[in-house]
Amino acid sequence: MNRLIDIAKNPLTIALVLIAALLFLGNTLSPGFASGGQILRLLIVAALLGIVAAGQNLVILGGREGIDLSVGGVVSLSAIVAGNVMNGMDGGIPLAILACVATGALFGLFNGLGVTLLRIPPLVMTLGMLGVLQGLLVVIRQGIPSGRAAPALSEFVTRPFLLGLPGIIWLWIGVGLLMAFILHRTVFGQRIYAIGSNEQAAFMAGVPVRRTRIALFMLSGVFAAIAGLCLLGYSGSSFANVGEQYMLPSIIAVVFGGTPLSGGKGGYTGTMAGAVLLVVLQSILTTINIDESGRQMVFGATLLVLMLFYGRGRGLRA
Amino acid sequence: MTKLKLSGVSKAYGATLALRRGDLELDTGEVHVLIGANGSGKSTLCKIVAGSVRPDAGDVLLDGRAVTVSGPRAAQALGIGIFYQELSLADHRSVAENICLPDLPKQSGFFIDRAALREKAERYIALFEAVAGAELRADTNVGDLRADQRQLVEIMKALATEAPVLIFDEPTSALDRAQVDRFFEILRDLRNDGRSIVFISHRMDEIFAIGDRVTVIRDGETIDTMAIAETTPEAVIHMMVGEQEELAAPQQAAPPAQAASTDAALTVENLTGAGFRDVSFTVRRGEILGLGGLHGQGQSALLKALFGAPPPSAGEARIARERLRTDSPRSAIAQGVAYVSGDRSRDGVITGRPILENVTPIHALRNRLVLARPGQLAEKALPALKALNTKFAGLSHSIGSLSGGNQQKIVIARWLIDKPDILLLDDPTKGIDLSAKTDLFALIRRLAEEGLAIVLYSSEDAELLNNADRILVFNGGAVSRELSGAERTRYNLYQAAYEAA
Repeated sequence: MNRLIDIAKNPLTIALVLIAALLFLGNTLSPGFASGGQILRLLIVAALLGIVAAGQNLVILGGREGIDLSVGGVVSLSAIVAGNVMNGMDGGIPLAILACVATGALFGLFNGLGVTLLRIPPLVMTLGMLGVLQGLLVVIRQGIPSGRAAPALSEFVTRPFLLGLPGIIWLWIGVGLLMAFILHRTVFGQRIYAIGSNEQAAFMAGVPVRRTRIALFMLSGVFAAIAGLCLLGYSGSSFANVGEQYMLPSIIAVVFGGTPLSGGKGGYTGTMAGAVLLVVLQSILTTINIDESGRQMVFGATLLVLMLFYGRGRGLRA
Repeated sequence: MTKLKLSGVSKAYGATLALRRGDLELDTGEVHVLIGANGSGKSTLCKIVAGSVRPDAGDVLLDGRAVTVSGPRAAQALGIGIFYQELSLADHRSVAENICLPDLPKQSGFFIDRAALREKAERYIALFEAVAGAELRADTNVGDLRADQRQLVEIMKALATEAPVLIFDEPTSALDRAQVDRFFEILRDLRNDGRSIVFISHRMDEIFAIGDRVTVIRDGETIDTMAIAETTPEAVIHMMVGEQEELAAPQQAAPPAQAASTDAALTVENLTGAGFRDVSFTVRRGEILGLGGLHGQGQSALLKALFGAPPPSAGEARIARERLRTDSPRSAIAQGVAYVSGDRSRDGVITGRPILENVTPIHALRNRLVLARPGQLAEKALPALKALNTKFAGLSHSIGSLSGGNQQKIVIARWLIDKPDILLLDDPTKGIDLSAKTDLFALIRRLAEEGLAIVLYSSEDAELLNNADRILVFNGGAVSRELSGAERTRYNLYQAAYEAA
């Protein structure tokens, strides 16, 4: 009985039940909503969000109010960098991947250094970085063309590749396995949880607290950059604020998945379910003709309601 | 004439009896000194008078009438003012506001009367004018003051209550000689005006300079009250020690000269840092060196500094023949130094994580592990946990599911997988049960026999006397005396701890 209650209380279970309920609701509102092709399309969109949320998840797990508000900016910048490097040609893909990863890592490094060495709160540091990125995007858009995705990249994201699933779904599954491996089978993963749950004790046990935290922000940047690259493949060409829509949902997906904003506990499996849930929700809102501003309001309200349920285990500022 | 009388007051916190039978008679127009060792119950007694703790039994009589001090505000209304040992100042407010905080002058019952506030504060600042330093003015922010000036503000705040009964709990710890002298002059004036003052201090010279009478508390019981003029520091210490002298003789501790090898494992030379200065000593392999004295005399700060958290500001430590790098715990660990804090929830336990993850971080660090294979790590962790008789249901259970004593065992076990050369124990038994303590000290002795050099600070004198081969007594951040062999008695320990720093 207790076991049943535990399962019922598990954020992953809750998310899965909600996903099923929302699919059912969607299908009632608009028949065909839960068809195979439609679900596949939703999963592709969820994969993009899920990859961004992986980095967000790591930063939040590391505690001390860790959060990365700059992910949206990195996604946008990465899409533009990739579009210009490959410029519609398959041969440019390897170089584009390299350029994107480097871009993400660089901005993550800045975030990490600001948070650890300059002791700027993550909220402020990454918000400032987002401002810098947005300014940079405006300048770039005036100077150079937005660039086009290579055909192979678009195919990777949209066309079935193996077992009827496109490459990006497989990439997302890979990210999920990688995250599980990092978090549960490496010393680095244990250190993430350690600094997230008791930083002072971790420091006294020889954990390189600063280096670990910098690495988390860099990983967040890299994951966002990879998502930006894939997003370019999804939409064909990039435009300046293509990534903006990822900031809030990536945080909601993490919290929905059972990682509190205070860090130190939780994992990525729940976050994946959270990402799917949000995408389904977004799709339903679109189906019933709620526009972008309405969707933003719903997402904001969702985060606040979530904080009531999950966020109060431990005071965020305590 | 008796102003305040406490008789048969007792207070228990859960199963711990903090005060068994507290008696105190405070006359009008006297400075009454309260003295007792760490944890003897004098702070509890003061808190009862101040109303922050309610007694379980006993009577409090003020001017011959039984009163109930139900809280700090009630104490204030009854005319009892207190100086708190833990500074209770508001950093971002001015000196004047802090001084007048217990009773802010008001205008029309609501608005603060700025002029009266300033005028009142300046009266008290003027008392210390010659010794306080120019920065201490009515409008200075308390946060901008030095430690001694802050303590003076705290004193002024207690004085400003103008209460007939004033309690000073260690008011002079940060003050210099001239400031103490001035403070004592003021206290004498107050006494001559008929105020009743309770004075708590650990400095014998101060006690004999200012006190009229002294009351000794030991193990939660009032032992006796004497006139200062008719007693001596030696007699007071003997009363604090009581009849336990013989008990304190170390039983199992072998003579260090034979048990310990001759090579120094850790040599500390003129080490200085926040809270301690100019400390030098040597620990040999196989030796347990005790650090004794009153709370907060630099013992903890020294141990933390040797572990690099934070590093010392001057001096040198050598481990074997090499210089010990103390820039961070990480580098100290790499050189074979281990540190166990008594504050396990802050410095030790990785909250909410499995027991296994709490045992293995040092092993992972020292072996530069990248992968964490639970099976392999469990093999390493189990013997270490067994050495301490740790009771737990499974390695994957959260450390939070264990009792305090078992949590501390987990934290200690993390150092036992790859044995360090130096083990620093910073009051390791704080708040753990008796059987865990026994297990712990048995292990410590065994580790010493295996050749580890151990430095042990304990706030319980009996633990030190029973387990340390040598004891360095700390007083005011420096070593005041070294006790070895037959000198390791409670009397010598107290005498060194309580003499003037």
